[in-house]
Amino acid sequence: MTSVSTAASGQEAVAPHVTPERRQRGILLIRGATLLLGLVSLVQLLSVLGYIPFGFTNWQPVLIAYVLWSAALCWGLVLRDGEAGWRAIFVLPAVLFTVALVIFPTFFGLYIAFSDWNLQSAGGRQFNGLDNFYQLVADPYFWNALGNMVFYVATVLVQYAIAFGLAMLLNADIKAQKFFRVAFLLPFMLSPVAVSWMIGKSMLEYRFGPVTHLLRTLGWSQPTLLTSPWLAKSTIALMDAWVWIPFMMIMILAGLQALPKDVQEAAKVDGATGWQGFWQITFPLMLPVSVTTVVLRIIFQLKLADIVINTTAGGPGGATDTISSYIFRVYKDRSNVGYGTMIAEVYLIIIIFFVALLLKFTSRFMQRAV
Amino acid sequence: MKVELYNYMMNRRTMLKGAAGVAAMAAVGGPAMNVSTAFAQDDIRAAILKIPGVGKGQPTDADWQKVGEMTLGATKSSIQPGEFKGVELSFMGLNNQNVHNVLFRGLSKAWADYTGATINWIDLAQADYNARLQQAIATGTVDFDVIEMGAPFEGDVCGKGLASEMPDWVKKQIDMDDYVGYLKAPVGTWAGKTYRVSCDGDCHNFNYRSDVFADAGLADEWKKAGGEGDWKAPRTWQEVNAATKFLKGKQLGGQDLYGYLDPAKGWGGFGFYFLGSRATAYVKHPDSKAFLFEPDTMKPMVNNPGWVRAIQDVLDCLPSEPADQLNADPGTTGFQQFLAGTGSMLSWWGDIGSNVNTNDSSVIQGKTAFDILPGSPDVYNHAAGKWDTLASGPNFAPNMAYIGWGIYVMARVDADPKKQKAAWSLAAHLGGKDISLWMAAYPSGFQPYRQSHFNIPEWVGAGYDEAFITNYLASQANSYNHPNAAIEPRIPGIFQYYSEAEDILSNIYAGKMKAQEGADAIAAAWEKRTDQLGRDNQIKLYKASLGM
Repeated sequence: MTSVSTAASGQEAVAPHVTPERRQRGILLIRGATLLLGLVSLVQLLSVLGYIPFGFTNWQPVLIAYVLWSAALCWGLVLRDGEAGWRAIFVLPAVLFTVALVIFPTFFGLYIAFSDWNLQSAGGRQFNGLDNFYQLVADPYFWNALGNMVFYVATVLVQYAIAFGLAMLLNADIKAQKFFRVAFLLPFMLSPVAVSWMIGKSMLEYRFGPVTHLLRTLGWSQPTLLTSPWLAKSTIALMDAWVWIPFMMIMILAGLQALPKDVQEAAKVDGATGWQGFWQITFPLMLPVSVTTVVLRIIFQLKLADIVINTTAGGPGGATDTISSYIFRVYKDRSNVGYGTMIAEVYLIIIIFFVALLLKFTSRFMQRAV
Repeated sequence: MKVELYNYMMNRRTMLKGAAGVAAMAAVGGPAMNVSTAFAQDDIRAAILKIPGVGKGQPTDADWQKVGEMTLGATKSSIQPGEFKGVELSFMGLNNQNVHNVLFRGLSKAWADYTGATINWIDLAQADYNARLQQAIATGTVDFDVIEMGAPFEGDVCGKGLASEMPDWVKKQIDMDDYVGYLKAPVGTWAGKTYRVSCDGDCHNFNYRSDVFADAGLADEWKKAGGEGDWKAPRTWQEVNAATKFLKGKQLGGQDLYGYLDPAKGWGGFGFYFLGSRATAYVKHPDSKAFLFEPDTMKPMVNNPGWVRAIQDVLDCLPSEPADQLNADPGTTGFQQFLAGTGSMLSWWGDIGSNVNTNDSSVIQGKTAFDILPGSPDVYNHAAGKWDTLASGPNFAPNMAYIGWGIYVMARVDADPKKQKAAWSLAAHLGGKDISLWMAAYPSGFQPYRQSHFNIPEWVGAGYDEAFITNYLASQANSYNHPNAAIEPRIPGIFQYYSEAEDILSNIYAGKMKAQEGADAIAAAWEKRTDQLGRDNQIKLYKASLGM
């Protein structure tokens, strides 16, 4: 065992096979890099806040100092702790990367969310406390989009049922099984942006679209799929389902293939019908896979934006709007960074709560089912 | 404009003769005998109009390069060969297919070869343009030296001191006096300083189906239905609305007819221009330049009775328009509806007219005519709070939507005189008088914008049909030069206002709000936006943009 051991007296850990000089060099390297990072950050912060007349033109030097500090920290740990240091740097780069690109931006996002920051504002960014939150609470466009999200999320259950059926078909002994598996997966390989143009803007086009042409042939004189609220919402949901059902299908298919066949065979021997075999054996056994699939799909669904932006821009009258497409407009068309970030942060919290509740509910449901 | 124009051009033999001559001259171009000095200016203008010529399809990169070389005379008279060697310029613009930056690359190659400068191109999709520009400004990371920019963004750039003031030699080189009236100061200027080399002029004109309004059968039906006056192309919005309601259910040549087309779906803020085109005749009073905000307070005027009438007009006409109108943005309305034969009247930029004869999806060749936007017998006087009937007759107020693209040099080049001169020389080359004629005549994304572009005999001499050119160019010239033209405020965040309005208009058009209720909601949203952007500053910049 060569890991760092901490003396009971509280003295610093001593790693075997590490000379005191080497250990000292490691400590110096870490402290030096930390000092550099702290100094660069402090200078830039004081400069930005106007406390000192000098500083860097932007935050890039701080980023460079962070990268240097990260490298020095890894190197210093190896020097200081020997093999334990080597073990630490198996994980440390990933941790530092996550801190830089996930944790810091999330908290920095909160900082922005509490500010009045419109890119075109003469006054620049101003701290405005909870004003953005209060604005959100009173924002009918946010609540309208959130209401639409309830509908879109509910459609996941329909998608799940269809995906389950398709997976069962593809799991059966059918001809050209491999071909159908690839063919059914194709929509998932397409970019939703491409789908929204190919289907939403072309095939469903009112005048020349082949789908609307077919609908006219079938007797619908004015097949306007994207101009009445519920029809538009349903059309968007259909396009979204077309893209994402293959994802659910492939997850469920993988689960079906992992099921022990002897249980089904035993049930058949005992005289179970096909429906009984599915409902009382296959479906319960597939619950863990189903829950994972549905939860993942709901998380994806909560971020629905691309098809909506391209096909209806949220209309008619906000009928197809989603939170993400609304955030897109707030950010992109209105440069309203502070408020847009507040919506994004609040939505993130809503998603976290919703998914946590969903997991808790499904966990209980599965325990009862078992 | 535009391919259909050169489809009218001279016969193939003439074109080939001209092109061969041009090519021969270009081949011997250089210090000893450059192309530009080989022609008198009129000859150059006539020669470039022959590139690529009739029946040759859209111009290619080789054509753009040739035009760029032939129009280099002004640069050569003020810049020494290789004078900008070692200078690198970043040029930010749009990446639309075969136009804007794609076109500029070819047009500026000869300039770069001659001066020795290098140009690095920053290409942006139109939808990303505003966000990219605003981020660069807000984060202090302006990384371009020259930008292709619309006048509505002047508040963001010039108003914040980010642009370089135009040197006098550039003004002389590009002949700014040749600009149509509305593109002259205050457009392109801030606080008395000039910043913009115009390369485009924008206005909405009125496109209508001449065959529909000349049809005798429809004229009879119009009379029988008790229609007011003769059956003819409408000249007021009231007539537009009446014709739109009348045409519902009618057919011509077996095709269903529709009247006016209102783009009811948002377009990243650009959709608001289309309500604006309906509204300007009602709200742009000849006595005042303002029609969107009160200049002294930035209080929105968008919920006054004039604007509400325009919104109500849309609501009244939508049931008579195609069934998918609620999901039709301006692009769809122009290119998938009007050009494809759906609808009889449309407000759009000059592109529609230029596509009528060239776009593969167009079925309305020879059936289209143009005019300035319709007027109104009365106009709302916002200051007096009442409708006025003008002694001069109906009020016309062409909508100068977007005010056109221009080329601006950023202030960051000012610290380096050589780079500054290079940047302005490039801008002057691309906004030069002769090169602009070619850009006005061929697909470029730009409309005619100089008085010299409206020289009908020049077009006719090049082989165009006089009636067509006269009608098409007159609709633009008369808009540009109209004394009561509605010129939008060049204030920071103008597209934020438009985007807010689009969201609310979508609700109004979908029947979720009444016209007045929606207009009040737009006004309230605009008030909040003004507060966020800084009311005092907005008022100051608004007044500056109005030349007050």
